[in-house]
Amino acid sequence: MSSQAAEAPIPASFDLPAIPPLARHPGWLDDRRASALKAFRANGLPHRRVEEWKYSDLRNAIEGQGRNESDVTNPAPDPFEAIAGPRLVVRDGAFDAALSSAEEVEFLDLALLDDDAPDWVRNGLGQVLSNSMGNASLALMRGGVAIRISRGTAAQLHLRFLQETETMHARVFVEVEDGASLLLLESHAGVHGVGNLGIEIFLRANAQMTHVRLAEPAPDAIRIEEIGVVLARDARYFAHLPQTGAQLSRLELSVDLQGSGAEAALDGAGVLGDRLHADVTTRVDHSAANTASTQLFKYIAGGHSRAIYQGKIAVHKGADGSDSRQTAKAILTGQRAEADLKPELEILADDVKCAHGAAVGDLDADSLFYLRSRGISEGEARELLVRAFIEETVTRIKREDVRTAVWGFLEDALPRALEVSE
Amino acid sequence: MSLLEIENLHVASQGKEILKGLSLVIREGEVHAIMGPNGSGKSTLSYTLAGRQGYEITAGRILYRGEDLALFAPEERSAKGIFLALQYPVEIPGVTTMNFLKAALNAQRRARGETEFDALSILRLVRETASGLNIPEEMLRRALNVGFSGGEKKRLEILQMALFKPSLTILDETDSGLDIDALKLVADGVNALRAPDRAMLVITHYQRLLDYIVPHRVHVLANGRIVAEGGSELAHELEAKGYAGFVKDAA
Repeated sequence: MSSQAAEAPIPASFDLPAIPPLARHPGWLDDRRASALKAFRANGLPHRRVEEWKYSDLRNAIEGQGRNESDVTNPAPDPFEAIAGPRLVVRDGAFDAALSSAEEVEFLDLALLDDDAPDWVRNGLGQVLSNSMGNASLALMRGGVAIRISRGTAAQLHLRFLQETETMHARVFVEVEDGASLLLLESHAGVHGVGNLGIEIFLRANAQMTHVRLAEPAPDAIRIEEIGVVLARDARYFAHLPQTGAQLSRLELSVDLQGSGAEAALDGAGVLGDRLHADVTTRVDHSAANTASTQLFKYIAGGHSRAIYQGKIAVHKGADGSDSRQTAKAILTGQRAEADLKPELEILADDVKCAHGAAVGDLDADSLFYLRSRGISEGEARELLVRAFIEETVTRIKREDVRTAVWGFLEDALPRALEVSE
Repeated sequence: MSLLEIENLHVASQGKEILKGLSLVIREGEVHAIMGPNGSGKSTLSYTLAGRQGYEITAGRILYRGEDLALFAPEERSAKGIFLALQYPVEIPGVTTMNFLKAALNAQRRARGETEFDALSILRLVRETASGLNIPEEMLRRALNVGFSGGEKKRLEILQMALFKPSLTILDETDSGLDIDALKLVADGVNALRAPDRAMLVITHYQRLLDYIVPHRVHVLANGRIVAEGGSELAHELEAKGYAGFVKDAA
């Protein structure tokens, strides 16, 4: 498939003069999509001269020559296979009813929206993600799903994305009503092509959501995803975002703590090797008083891989009593690996607590020697230290079966990150 | 037979020569002490024996059971029965003490071609040995050396020594930072392991530890060379006179 990619230029699907129409022509949505397309076309695909895309040159990856071609041909198995529960499948950007089974959960197929769409979708869809790729996913989407968890209830849902086509644009809309809670398991399979997914999440007062995203390593794929989360009073959002990389992988997470007492905790381990790339770019807005956020991202980068974390925290006027913490660390296990960690703070309120730090280093030589002097081989010692380094991000996952799935997913990626290259 | 023969050893670290012709023979069953002032090369000697990177043998050699030690990686030396108790044991967050002990014990056994212990027998072995050293089980569940006091870290080194049963134990300033009770406990642990087929090299700045671990021979190290040798009484002489006289003789 990737050999065809060189002949059939991919940018065409990003450069449509008009939005691809949805089946039932919802006028309200078409208007939003048309203006999103206009906004996207004004700047086109982001590239390295755009500050936020400095380390992830999307335009060059899509239009340029050097598309990777590895021997990976089959998608990996579902990382959440062992966890039973409702499941929605989006295939090549469109909801696939035949592969889905989620009677317990209220959802809508975005491709079938019309002018009678319910208010909860209508009021929210397309309101949050206003950056360039967010505009693209709204304007160019083939479909996707909208999910609502009703007031006071608890739900679990696995959203699975499959991609076989050369390009995929999709959208997901999630609304968790007052006092409701959702465990959202998100998984991606597909080893070729360009995918762009936008997820909008509204957490109403006192709602709670745990979001776990696993995308299989894909050396020949370009994966873009924007997640926008809006939290009302006392809502809580926990995101666990392990990274194993792609030819270019960009995860943009924008969290707006709009209601007082709202809280977000974002974390993830990145385990990278070969020529894999993973970029996690976050923005957390403390827009109300007494809001809290923590971020913990830890990368192991081996081979020629590239690990990126850019995190901006903005504490706005009136967000007094806010507390934000941000930590990003990377250990380079490959001579030619690179990590770019860029934490950033902007504080416009008084009486706030903010702590941030970033560090890139090698495996600790004292620790390595200590373990080896106790009989543990160099390879085993390195692995022990690397596991210990990333474990902290995994132990934060509360549910044991989910934790096991995430740990297994990262373990599968470890050999690549620990491979000793010349 | 001689277990360890160090012949005219020269070692450089970061381009600077630190050991300048050190010779020493240790036979099975013997306990030797090396005393010396700061900067005399004590830690360089222990790191060189354990095979740490960055310590380059520029001349001379170390024979262990007749084999050239320079040919072996630190983990191979460990499997051959060499154990270095460190002055500052390293803290390793995320690795529990129990898992570390299990990994180390089995790695050594594997390297020697012995069958590995199963989880249960290791647990039993470690618990029994630990209780004899006043190491509470709770410590074994914590991350390796993280948040341990100086005394606890040293006790954990002694626990490893008791578990690994090395042929040659090198104690690198194990007494530093210990109060008298901790010192006695460490010494008891070391003495319990004295055996006709084992040898020890006790490296220390102070004579105090040698009141509890009485050596067969004492060597004074100054400026990278052995400058004086004697029986255990030499330690007391040093304590009374100080290093100054010996160091001057060496210069």
